[in-house]
Amino acid sequence: MAKKWGERLRSWMTKNMELPQDVMMDLPRITMIGQIHIYIENHRGLLGFSDKEVRLLLEHGQLLIKGNNFVIKTIMPEEILLQGTIEHVLFVAE
Amino acid sequence: MKNQWLFFLKGIVTVRTSGRGSERFLNTLTRAGVSVWNVKAHGSQVLTFQMKLDDLPTLRQYARTADCKFEFVGRKGLPFMKKRMLRNSGFFFGAIAFLVVVILLSNMVWGIEIKGANPATEYKMEKELEKIGVKKGKLQFFIDTPEGIQRYLTENVNEITWVGVELKGTTYHLQVVEKNEPKKTELLSPQHLVAKKKGTIVGMFIEEGEAKAKINDFVKPGQLLVSGLIGNDEKKKIVPAKGEVLAETWYKANVTYPLEKKSNVYTGDQKVKHTLELGSLKIPLWGFGNIDFDHYVKEEDKRQVKFLKWELPIVMTKNIYREAEVMTQVFNEKEAILEAKKLARSKIKKQLDEDATIKGENVLHQSIENGKVTLSIHFQIIENIAEEQPIIQGDKE
Repeated sequence: MAKKWGERLRSWMTKNMELPQDVMMDLPRITMIGQIHIYIENHRGLLGFSDKEVRLLLEHGQLLIKGNNFVIKTIMPEEILLQGTIEHVLFVAE
Repeated sequence: MKNQWLFFLKGIVTVRTSGRGSERFLNTLTRAGVSVWNVKAHGSQVLTFQMKLDDLPTLRQYARTADCKFEFVGRKGLPFMKKRMLRNSGFFFGAIAFLVVVILLSNMVWGIEIKGANPATEYKMEKELEKIGVKKGKLQFFIDTPEGIQRYLTENVNEITWVGVELKGTTYHLQVVEKNEPKKTELLSPQHLVAKKKGTIVGMFIEEGEAKAKINDFVKPGQLLVSGLIGNDEKKKIVPAKGEVLAETWYKANVTYPLEKKSNVYTGDQKVKHTLELGSLKIPLWGFGNIDFDHYVKEEDKRQVKFLKWELPIVMTKNIYREAEVMTQVFNEKEAILEAKKLARSKIKKQLDEDATIKGENVLHQSIENGKVTLSIHFQIIENIAEEQPIIQGDKE
């Protein structure tokens, strides 16, 4: 219950105080450059990696990226830069 | 992306992991602050990634608990290059040593060729050359300039009149003119001896021919002295007249000599500077500091470094700064006149043959004007005035 309340408060705050949502709500910020680069901030770890599929853990659920020739150019605790041909970006609910 | 070059300097390793926990291990690594990049998947469960060499201890620390295997597949960067260079340093040093040897050999003396001297003189010259370090296998940098060698040889080997020294590549070519060259046997054709100057005959030494002048005769240029026609009317014979006719001749010399003479005198103090010139860049090798002489004469000796047959734009320069003092010599009248006479005598001697002697001298005129002594001296000289004049066969009849 308390957690729900906290979330509601945050959602309200972002709505009414014009604060960026990714900061307030621990959401991933995903930046894509065409098909070739995808930059994800605020992830919670790498779950699976192959050259066709990348699975990332998020605060809520997972992010599934499908494509070809994937190479992780950089990986840091909360950021990842992926290179390749990106075809799908899917949010998978838990 | 971070600056890859900095990573390169520190060293980069490529790691291959295989096993189920590869991804999880990657997460642990990144959380531990290890920067990981270029992660690639090779088939199932096999990953390669790059990381800094510095982070290896961290990797090892976590590797124990991870359920995957590790392999190092690539090493890049300066630390590895250094290692490889050390291992292959033999090649590197070999190449440098080769260059050094070639340069050294290119600047050595490989031959000394002496031309125009007989074996005895040649041997003596070789000995003298050895004394000043001109020898096969010596480096040219430490040898005197060709001009210096030339001077030294002419001074120290009595048998030679003149020697030309030339450095061609790695060989010294010496052209010698000896004093006592074997005399060419003169094929004497019939000739008279006539006077070449006017004078009074003081002595005659006739080897062949008939004297036509006597001692104490005054002769004019062109006058017949010794005839090549001998014998009386019945038995005429034409011979090459030979001999010496010594006569007293007269010369006049005019000389001026200053009462005050300025000249550069070396004090003996000198400073030597060695410089290595690479193109326009000058690197001082030896001899630093300023030249603290008020007056000095600079002497430059440049040696180009050779590589095989080419000359490199590298010059070894030796500059000698000799301290000089300007000396003013002041003569009084008497001294100036003496000096002027000396000068006149040497002037006259230059005009004469070697065997001529000065018999006497008279000062005709002497004046001192504008700080200068002007002398006019009359010299009496004893010299050979005989000159050959061929007898043309047609003259006989």
